Amino acid sequence: MLSSLPDAFAILMTLEGLLVLVLGTALGIVLGAMPGIGSTVAVAMVLPFTLSMGQAPAIMLLLAVYAGSVYGGSIAAILINTPGTPQSAATCLDGYPMAQRGEAGLALGWATVASVIGGLVSAVVLIFAAPQLAAFALQFGPIETFTLILLGMTCIVSVSTGSLVKGLLAGMIGIFLSTVGGDPIVGEMRFTFNNWQLFAGFNLLAVVIGVFALSEVLMRASAQLSTASELVDFKGVTLPRLAMWKGRRRTLGKSVLIGNMIGVLPGTGAATAAFISYAEGRRSSPNGDKFGTGEPDGIIASEAANNAVTGGALVPTMALGIPGDAITAVMLATLTLHGITPGPKLVEDNPTLIAAIFAGFFVINLLLLPLGLVLSRVAAPILRVKEAFMMTAIVLLCAVGVYFVRGNPFDLAVMGAAGVAGFILRRQGFPMAPLVIGMVLGPTLEITLRQGLILTDGSFWAFFYGHPIALALGLISVFALIFPLLRQFMSMQRRSL
Amino acid sequence: MQKLLNEQAMVLMGLFLIGSGLYASTFAQSFSNVATAQSPVFFPRTILMLWMGLTLIALVQAMHQNEASAPVASLGRVALLLVTSVVYTNVIGHEGFFLPSVVFAAMSLHLFGIRNPIVVALYAVVVPGALVLLFNHMLSMPLPVSRFTHLF
Amino acid sequence: MTLQRVAAFFACSLLAAPVVAADDFPERPINLIAPFNAGGGTDLLLRGFAPHFAEAIGGDAFVSNMAGGSGTVAASALQGQRPDGYQLGYFSITVSTIQPQIKNVPYDVDSWTPICSVAASPTLLFTNADTPYQTAADVVEAANAEPGKLVYGSSGPGAMTHLTTVAAFAGLGILDKLKHLPFQGSGPAVKELTAGTIQFFGDTEILMTRGDFRPLMVFNSERLESYPDVPTATETGIKAPLNELYLWGGLFAPAGLEPEVTAKLEAACEQAVASEGFQDFAATSGTVINYRGAAEFEAFFRQQYESNGALIEAAGL
Repeated sequence: MLSSLPDAFAILMTLEGLLVLVLGTALGIVLGAMPGIGSTVAVAMVLPFTLSMGQAPAIMLLLAVYAGSVYGGSIAAILINTPGTPQSAATCLDGYPMAQRGEAGLALGWATVASVIGGLVSAVVLIFAAPQLAAFALQFGPIETFTLILLGMTCIVSVSTGSLVKGLLAGMIGIFLSTVGGDPIVGEMRFTFNNWQLFAGFNLLAVVIGVFALSEVLMRASAQLSTASELVDFKGVTLPRLAMWKGRRRTLGKSVLIGNMIGVLPGTGAATAAFISYAEGRRSSPNGDKFGTGEPDGIIASEAANNAVTGGALVPTMALGIPGDAITAVMLATLTLHGITPGPKLVEDNPTLIAAIFAGFFVINLLLLPLGLVLSRVAAPILRVKEAFMMTAIVLLCAVGVYFVRGNPFDLAVMGAAGVAGFILRRQGFPMAPLVIGMVLGPTLEITLRQGLILTDGSFWAFFYGHPIALALGLISVFALIFPLLRQFMSMQRRSL
Repeated sequence: MQKLLNEQAMVLMGLFLIGSGLYASTFAQSFSNVATAQSPVFFPRTILMLWMGLTLIALVQAMHQNEASAPVASLGRVALLLVTSVVYTNVIGHEGFFLPSVVFAAMSLHLFGIRNPIVVALYAVVVPGALVLLFNHMLSMPLPVSRFTHLF
Repeated sequence: MTLQRVAAFFACSLLAAPVVAADDFPERPINLIAPFNAGGGTDLLLRGFAPHFAEAIGGDAFVSNMAGGSGTVAASALQGQRPDGYQLGYFSITVSTIQPQIKNVPYDVDSWTPICSVAASPTLLFTNADTPYQTAADVVEAANAEPGKLVYGSSGPGAMTHLTTVAAFAGLGILDKLKHLPFQGSGPAVKELTAGTIQFFGDTEILMTRGDFRPLMVFNSERLESYPDVPTATETGIKAPLNELYLWGGLFAPAGLEPEVTAKLEAACEQAVASEGFQDFAATSGTVINYRGAAEFEAFFRQQYESNGALIEAAGL
């Protein structure tokens, strides 16, 4: 495949190739930055155009829009606390407090640099180690995945700002919401009360957008109305100076690694990576205790990881023909449409095309930096509007975004209800990030647990016997659960002395 | 008694009632008789039990701390926006995107303190109108339309 | 005055709406509903079909997505719509015949006006190429030797992949000697087939070619051209109605569509399926075209609804 790289760059460096990359990335950033509009809707918007394009440009456009929208999502999350996707929810935790302190530009700067580095490293890993990583992904059966998700769940403890009990409770509400609908193993309906709309369960994005974006609008309506003519003090992205990186490189490196590894495993996703990386950053970073109060390390941990997932998710997609997430599934279907069968021989049979896709992915991540800088300068005046205009636009955009996720007006009603519930809970100091973690990881936790029990004939302890990866992850989960409690206990002891 | 009547305690008690109601509902429905852990309600029941337990702990904590919730600047404004949002998100399916959005935008702008009728009217028509124009007519990705015409 | 005018306009449109003028059909764009997410197999097939359909009917047609509940949400929503011919759903065998028999959805066999069928692919039972099972007889022998050791996967309970494996193993009489492991979608199931966690999976030919897999039988009336050595299910001893299984799909309108409109839509569908553009599209995307007109499709659909009941019972759904 490496030998095809020159040919691949020849494909990219045509006018059409460059145009697709630049415009696609820019469009992705703009769409992702709109509250309520996430990667799913952005990809659905460009999909019809890809049907009439050639193989390489079609895939490139999808990738560009996807990577752009993942990065763009951090903009809405940081500036107005309204993530359009679950994977940006972790970015809010420190990004928004920084923006409130008046450091919006710098917060976005950290997010931009972390995103670009996360994406670039994952592109390099993709180009050089895709087959090895694909083999690693195959080691992760249901039992291993279960323990990984368990580890992800322990992040609820780390992101429970304020009250741990309320965080755990929010997590339970999230997991519960994900169990509504068809049982994943036997297919019977749960908590649907004979309402066919509920047969498909609650849509994750409808709930996420409700509890973050819509409830944010309600929170602002309940507070003293801002009389300022500018909602956020934002003049564009300010890149952090090199000296400011002191002591943060380790967090960055770890986050990129976590994002890559988790991205490679099909069906786990960017939100899991962002939260696990955030929790690990909080544990190991020298600035760990400041997490949640506007600490750049928190932004780095979340953004580097969720962008590194994009490259990771392409590994099983391209090396095995198995989609890593919903977006890579669309890419595979697009390939099929162009007469290419995805599968283990994909790279062997189409070396130039795949090399072009990988190289294109590298270029897209390079483009994020200049495009992010330029677009944020252009967009800054738009953000300098009165609160009323901004809040109203957020609700309208959220309605559009949620409607297009599944094309079902019922999801809008779910968003409305989630907004009200989120507002009530947030007023009582319930953190919303655990609810998102619960809802993202809940379904996988349940299905992998039950799949594992089918495979071991009902013995839970057999999960750890003969499954070394599962045993290791299980132990790390226990440690991750105990460590924050231990630290809290020790600091209490110290204080009492 | 006073401690049981504050907003925080009421929310927690509400959560407890919802949790226990859902828990009870799992017994009303009959499920296929499969091994315990594979029963469709095993996992949700476990979660709901944790839900109820955690609510009780939070209630006990709340009684000991008795902290006041954040003040609401204007109860009328929040209540009105709350109701408007819920109605808005529920009627789009029947009445289309455009008309409810115009009404919602006008209400929301007013509630957030924009009093100039021309600005309100202009914004309420132009922003939803632009979205409908973009999605329904330029992208062939239509938002729900009203019962009157397929154009918006 | 203005108010009266507006009122009159609304009243007119309300009164005028139920009257469908068959002669003028179509007066506005036709909505083809894919009951799955944008970018999935069904969605892309429909997007390839839509322009040719629009050309044939002399109007406009667009694809919209309404995903969820294995396609039942879109079908349930369409079932309650006015049958005016402007809203058509592209439903597969599972959405139209399996799901209504296992879930309490608001539609059944009588809720539709079938327009035409577009595609139908037989399913295959396959195993990973490095397993020792060369024929169905090998599987029967292994399953009988060590009951509960072999595992078959599916993309979810009640999915086509589930019914294929059930048809195979129930037909061979070894269903209770194997374990069923459902996944969320074909992707993770195929990954576990590659990794060896599951040994068997059933899907269409296009999916099977995505991995290094060995077909054991095909649920078709005759052997496939592309796999002349693979026996049909009937040849391995599986009896009707479990011996033939096709993943088919076609256009449906809500019940009660006017015959003139049905005829127009049917003619447009036939022309679109036969068009060179769609034939090319089917060839590159591996779609197996299978056109049936309205009357023939309705008979086929009702017969399938009946016979799939046996399959559902065998699957214990």
